[in-house]
Amino acid sequence: MTDLLISGIIYGSIITIGAIGLTLMTDILGFFNFAYGDFFTLGAFGTLAFLAIFPDLGTFTGLSFGWTMIFAVILSALATVAVMLLFDFLFFRRLRNMGVTSLFMSLASLGVSFILRAIIYIVWGPKVQYYSREIQLSRDLGLGISMKVDELFILICVLFLVAMVFYFLKYTKIGKSLRAVSDNKMLAQASGMRPSRVIMWTWIICGLLAGVGGTLYGIQVQLNPSMGWNFMITLFVAVIMGGIGSFWGAMIAGMTIGIAGEMVTGLLQNLATAMQLQANISVYKPAIAFIFVIVILLLKPQGLFGKPKFNLKQ
Amino acid sequence: MVNYFFSYLVMAGLYGIMALALNMQWGYTGLMNFGIGAFYMLGAYSSAILTSSPSADYIGGFGLPVLIGIAGAAVIAGLIAYLLAFPALKLRGGPFAIALLAIQETLFLLVKNESWLTNGVTGIRGIPRPFIDFFSPQNYVYFYAVVSIGVMVLVYFAIERAVNSPWGRVLRGIREDETLTVMSGKDCTAFMRQSFVFSSIIMGVAGALYVHYTGFVSPQVFSPLMSTFLVWFMVTVGGTGNNRGVILGAFLVWAVWIGSDFISDMVPASMATQIGFIRMLFVGLILTITILTRPQGLLTKKLSVIKLFMEKEEY
Repeated sequence: MTDLLISGIIYGSIITIGAIGLTLMTDILGFFNFAYGDFFTLGAFGTLAFLAIFPDLGTFTGLSFGWTMIFAVILSALATVAVMLLFDFLFFRRLRNMGVTSLFMSLASLGVSFILRAIIYIVWGPKVQYYSREIQLSRDLGLGISMKVDELFILICVLFLVAMVFYFLKYTKIGKSLRAVSDNKMLAQASGMRPSRVIMWTWIICGLLAGVGGTLYGIQVQLNPSMGWNFMITLFVAVIMGGIGSFWGAMIAGMTIGIAGEMVTGLLQNLATAMQLQANISVYKPAIAFIFVIVILLLKPQGLFGKPKFNLKQ
Repeated sequence: MVNYFFSYLVMAGLYGIMALALNMQWGYTGLMNFGIGAFYMLGAYSSAILTSSPSADYIGGFGLPVLIGIAGAAVIAGLIAYLLAFPALKLRGGPFAIALLAIQETLFLLVKNESWLTNGVTGIRGIPRPFIDFFSPQNYVYFYAVVSIGVMVLVYFAIERAVNSPWGRVLRGIREDETLTVMSGKDCTAFMRQSFVFSSIIMGVAGALYVHYTGFVSPQVFSPLMSTFLVWFMVTVGGTGNNRGVILGAFLVWAVWIGSDFISDMVPASMATQIGFIRMLFVGLILTITILTRPQGLLTKKLSVIKLFMEKEEY
């Protein structure tokens, strides 16, 4: 039971990192970016590539990876930002200037997603890869809690990042202008905020989150070129459930989906085993999130913390 | 080689049917359905279970005639679309797309894992291929190319007829401006539901036609990539809202997708697995370049409804 809760919290915290970036992007850019999942993958594989460059300095305090991971993650996050800005410059910027509708932008981001995923497939191949082949055992942390050191690392990273993003949005000048644009685009423009600057900063924040989030996801599961694409639907579910543009909504929805997904499938699996049924329920973990979103959308179409009349067409 | 070309025609025809059906939803009604593969899959599995020979491993194998299988596919795809339409059509735009994508993923998971019904990843074998006795297995593809293209042409005329009727005019009105259409006294959700169900039935039939061509069905064919997004690319490249355009798009995109096989034949074997993904790069590039240079696709659509009333910028 506690084990299920802990793995749910880990899964939920990774969803949270992705969902915060995605909710910000959806809100400020005004369209559902279907390429976001592949930027996640890019972040994970970028870290793999940078890890290979550095010499192995050994591991520390039971982590399955070494000190070099920290540098690799930072470089990979920066690289993800660079690729995002490149795609924006080559593609999304032109579409914005053409003034296409938000649905059409989403469709266009699908093309970008394919290009990015194809490049990842071609460069790294379709094989499953790992940061470390070492198999970690859970350690007892007292109070009946036991988790792997890697998982503790993920939790600390997520907490740190969430705090950073919160600080950025709340107290810095650029963060404030981001929130202003998210609240009312016209008014923000009239107050002298340059849309191009706000959009650039959105890409930067989302790129950093995707780079680090992808790496954390890669630590928890294996790396394969479709990992981000498959994860993206869960992220969108968290974004919609939390309400588009809502920081706290994304966090709460991400944690709920993570914990509920693990708990429900885990408990049902235990039940099936107890009843000696031949059933593999854990494969339906993503489906739990989908059921969630459908229920939420029917009850409260704007999400838990969404703006009452969010309209993507505006 | 000729054989290869005809097998291309069969699949391009089937994708053409899918593209026409999607065009009805996206091009004419403005429904961003990212779950069309689900209805293709439902049609395929319905027909497979109804017509295949009995098996001990899973329910079904009812051994019914092919025509009943196709009818069953249409009924089941239509019925499930009808039931899904009620919750899904409360949403619009992006959230609708994501809800449908989630529904497709869930159905895909079910088909992959519930082996009592679908025989899991092993798939269902022994699905009858109509009139196979009259042809040698090598020549069957010629016959089926005629079937596939023939059905596509039928669907083309049916959809052209539908969208140029007063009913279709309402659909186009919804796509252009839903509020204005509601104000003209039309029940938009009902019209959307009709369009959704009608095109889902067509997709179900396309799925059934697919399994009777291959005689075998397994979940891999219905991955969102192959069954949904490729069709989306075809519609966007060909010309959203133009039925001739989307058929052109289907033949073009499928040619690129299949044609990449020749490239992987040319490179050394060590690179072949990775070069196989170059087709993804190609279709992605085609889509992005089309959107940047010709946002309405290769063939542009006819004059829209709302334009008659007011100047409104297209895209």
